[in-house]
Amino acid sequence: MRMLLAPLAAAASLASTSAFAVDYLSAEQARRLIFPDADSFEPHDIALDASQMQALAANGVPARSARWPVQVAKRGGSTLGYVVVDEVIGKFELITYAVGLNADGTVRQVEVLSYRESHGHEIRLPAWRRQFIGKTGASPLRVGEDIANISGATLSCTHVTDGVRRIVAVLGLARRTGALS
Amino acid sequence: MKRNTLSLAASLAVSLLLPALGAHAQSAATDADLAQKVDKLSAELAALKAQVQASPAAAPAEPATVLTSYGEINYNRPSKKPENAQADVRRFVLGFQHRFDDKTKVVTELEVEHGVSSADDAGEVEVEQAFIEHQLMPGTALRAGLFLMPVGLLNENHEPTAFYGVERNFVETAIIPSTWREGGLQYVGSFDNGLTVQAGLSTTFDLSKWDATSTEGAESPLAAVHQEMSLAKARDVAVFGAANWRGIPGLLLGGSLFTSNATQGQAGFPSARITLWDLHARWTPQRWDLSALYTQGHISNTAELNAPLVGSATLIPERFEGWYVQTAYTAWTSGDQALSPFARYERYNTASRYADLGAGLTPDALPTERVFTVGANYKLNANVVVKLDLQRFKENKDNNRFDLGLGWSF
Repeated sequence: MRMLLAPLAAAASLASTSAFAVDYLSAEQARRLIFPDADSFEPHDIALDASQMQALAANGVPARSARWPVQVAKRGGSTLGYVVVDEVIGKFELITYAVGLNADGTVRQVEVLSYRESHGHEIRLPAWRRQFIGKTGASPLRVGEDIANISGATLSCTHVTDGVRRIVAVLGLARRTGALS
Repeated sequence: MKRNTLSLAASLAVSLLLPALGAHAQSAATDADLAQKVDKLSAELAALKAQVQASPAAAPAEPATVLTSYGEINYNRPSKKPENAQADVRRFVLGFQHRFDDKTKVVTELEVEHGVSSADDAGEVEVEQAFIEHQLMPGTALRAGLFLMPVGLLNENHEPTAFYGVERNFVETAIIPSTWREGGLQYVGSFDNGLTVQAGLSTTFDLSKWDATSTEGAESPLAAVHQEMSLAKARDVAVFGAANWRGIPGLLLGGSLFTSNATQGQAGFPSARITLWDLHARWTPQRWDLSALYTQGHISNTAELNAPLVGSATLIPERFEGWYVQTAYTAWTSGDQALSPFARYERYNTASRYADLGAGLTPDALPTERVFTVGANYKLNANVVVKLDLQRFKENKDNNRFDLGLGWSF
């Protein structure tokens, strides 16, 4: 039995390490950092249907995936906000980051969990990440508009910013349609 | 993710079926035993499912090997001498990065310049980068091998999508010999205050190969003596360092220093030191992209080096320098498309001073060239750029030209 379970365990651990490179923070550390007041986090999957994905794409934010795992930050039964962990390719490598949104859908915080590009570690700096605070689905959320670039790491900045814009749009849609309540 | 889910399902099927078959063969096994086992497996399956589902939403797969490429296809048309108009596959670069593990990767680039490289053609095939990068801790890495030197704004970010204008600016071509690479060991550290420090030891130039009969040294003194790690003379070792601060979003302030002896102990050549430094700044508030750079190079002991060359076309300069200021503005965007007009003014001198060789023997410093470039980059997307510009030369007006370029990078 132990031998038979070994490949199964290997498959699961492969899934978690390849999808969750961690250099700076684990997903759990990130959500505790974003919502220090939360007494619990509840997993909640958003499942977009075809028409919702088309609606997002029509607004210029292709959803990339139909399924979005969200951690709902709770305190005493009330919802403080939401945390989504996502990955984008920077220039050549994966960047793992977490986006925290307040209950009203505004961006609360962005944390970088892992960054492996040879250049552009500065996207980890609080000064760069602070630019996202308070952004909404109505914000441009574009490098060169309301988000300043990091010289030498344009693609990393652009792709993380695009990722935050996508998460804000997906959760905005989910909130509007009641899929998050 | 799909592959992992499939292998998970296969493993589960095997895990569930084999024990069941085994149980059937053993008469001692009871239904209760089997039910217990199934319950246990169900619990394990649920736990594993939860683990798998904790992964991010349809994240892109971790790329272990990444194929990279950039290229520039340029057309230059001198306005006073249209007969010299030229179309050129300026450079075509293929590379790959391969990650051996979480900490270690290899980075390579192979470049072909001018379309064809053969005994009868001007083209070159070059290994532009070939180094191993090992991460010591997050934000801190060591590089070993052939790497781009951390100098100025362009050398490490030289893809056509990263700079304005069809051609690279003159200051970072004639004074800083981009694409400048050396072999050696480099430390890279990114700190929480926004400072990135790069420093190391590397190969260097070879002043013993200065060709005083050629004008190459007047076009770019360091490009005339670079070695590009091609059977490079390696008696002399260079020390280099760069510091770049990006603590305020959109702002970059930095500088670099490179120094080494460069006559490589060759018989008949006195010891001489090459030193090059630069200061640079870039600020990108909203749609603006403003940058400025100053760089200066020195070669010591040039009086002695030049003594046997007196009377030749191109002596070794004691000092060479240049600066530029550039402004660009993204005037229009639509989706990934962007149109960014820009203007750049640069002054550079590849021989702003010669060491004194005595009256009548010391060459005059070259005149300082001033170039004004105005044009636009049109990005079809983040990876494809079409550029056009006009360049006006104050000194050598025959060089005035119209440039058109197509570039890509991924």
